[in-house]
Amino acid sequence: MKKRILVVDDEEGLRLLYKEELEDEGWEVELAASGEESLEKLERDSIDLVLLDIKMPGMDGVEVLRRVKEKWKELPVILCTAYPHYKHDFGTWASDAYITKSSDLTELKQTVKDILGKRP
Amino acid sequence: MEYDIIEKVSDLAASDLPLDSKLAEAAGILLEYFPFDQCLLYLEEEGALKLRAEANGKAFAVKVYAMGEGLPWHACETGAPVEAFKAPEAASWEGIEDNGLFGAGHALAVPLKGSGRVYGVIYFKSAERKPLSLPKRRMCRIAALQVVSLLRCAQLSSDHRRVYDELLQMQQKLVDSEKLLALGDMAATLAHEIRNPLLSIGAYAARLRRQLPPDSPGLKYLEQMSADIGRIERIMNGIIRFLKDNAVELKTEDLDSIADESLAIFSDEFLAHNIRVERLGAGQKLPVLADREQMKIAFDNLIANAIQSMENGGTLFVSTAFLGGFAVARLSDTGGGIDPRYLGYIFNPFFTTKKHGTGLGLPIASSIVMRHKGQLEAGNEGPGAVFTIKIPYAGARETASITPAS
Repeated sequence: MKKRILVVDDEEGLRLLYKEELEDEGWEVELAASGEESLEKLERDSIDLVLLDIKMPGMDGVEVLRRVKEKWKELPVILCTAYPHYKHDFGTWASDAYITKSSDLTELKQTVKDILGKRP
Repeated sequence: MEYDIIEKVSDLAASDLPLDSKLAEAAGILLEYFPFDQCLLYLEEEGALKLRAEANGKAFAVKVYAMGEGLPWHACETGAPVEAFKAPEAASWEGIEDNGLFGAGHALAVPLKGSGRVYGVIYFKSAERKPLSLPKRRMCRIAALQVVSLLRCAQLSSDHRRVYDELLQMQQKLVDSEKLLALGDMAATLAHEIRNPLLSIGAYAARLRRQLPPDSPGLKYLEQMSADIGRIERIMNGIIRFLKDNAVELKTEDLDSIADESLAIFSDEFLAHNIRVERLGAGQKLPVLADREQMKIAFDNLIANAIQSMENGGTLFVSTAFLGGFAVARLSDTGGGIDPRYLGYIFNPFFTTKKHGTGLGLPIASSIVMRHKGQLEAGNEGPGAVFTIKIPYAGARETASITPAS
């Protein structure tokens, strides 16, 4: 069975981009437009990895990360944001990986591969 | 009449004239009142008496009396008026060595004395002996006091002006830094707003590129787009890094070894550009309260800057030392230096003279150093630029805890 990634980002253009790129890599992709929606999806669906934007209106990524790690300790989370300084924010230490948003998605894809194993 | 002179000198003291004009006028007033041919005003400066004003001084004036020389010094040393005469038939001034007395027959030197110090001398001279009444002699001392208060007024007003200028400068700096803050806010908003759409454009361009057949002419347009988007992204990253007011995590760190680590990162670059590095260490640890990673970024930016100025080779001197309560690191290069016209701007964000510079390297270094309560200074020296980082030394406690066993 294909492993399933939940992409959480408030920007529709980026959600679709991640979906297409990650599906090209052979993963199955679910989308959530907000922190709240992502938690609902996690309750309902079986998810293997969360790709989480930090800066979102409403519940932000750091808060989502905290709740995810409380409930699903083993579920890997990749934090993904424009601001490199979040690396130093202790609230983000619980994440399994941290990537800086870039139009070059190589790092993102490689990180997903490293976490979910070489084969989907 | 007796009091005219007091009034005139007091008016003069309160006027807005520059000091030398005041003194020149005072000399004129004094000469008018006292029956001499010449009135000279000497002020003590750096251990000598220098002629600062003269009334009818052409005939016999000495510009400078070195310490101990002549009648004026005598008056200074005794703190009381000194008067001398020469008999008309005598060929020379016997027993008094003073070139200024040449041609004169009567001289009076009145010290300018007030609040425990001597400011200088009023020196009257005339060709022949002049009778001087007792009230005139008394008035002479009062006039000297008036000139002293004129001098002190001038001193106070110049102090006042200096403090005022300093205040103005500080205020200007504040205004500048507030402008920078406002500019920073705007840039931060822009950078954040631009980044996501840019990412989307860039990544979709990359997708499109992969989907086009290899011989499609559109490929090279997309490649150009991707390259330029990458460039904008790098600029945005720089801005965000600069603007994010990273709370520095201060620990006791050794500035000496931070400098070494930063230099080590660039060893390949030094080789590639034929740059020789001369490192003069402090010979001791240089403990400072610092965020090691941040401080390394400051050094990295300065080193990168030096390398860019010496792309065809040169020498980078890096010295570290403990100086006057500061741990000091000094980086100087042989890259031609900074155009003096730009020295005042190089720490402003987005100021750059390079074709592909973001104008953020030096501002980042400077803001990091400032967050460490330190100073980053720039200047030119010899064949290049010199940057000096000063961070308050945090070694006192360390030194105190060293036990004799070590």
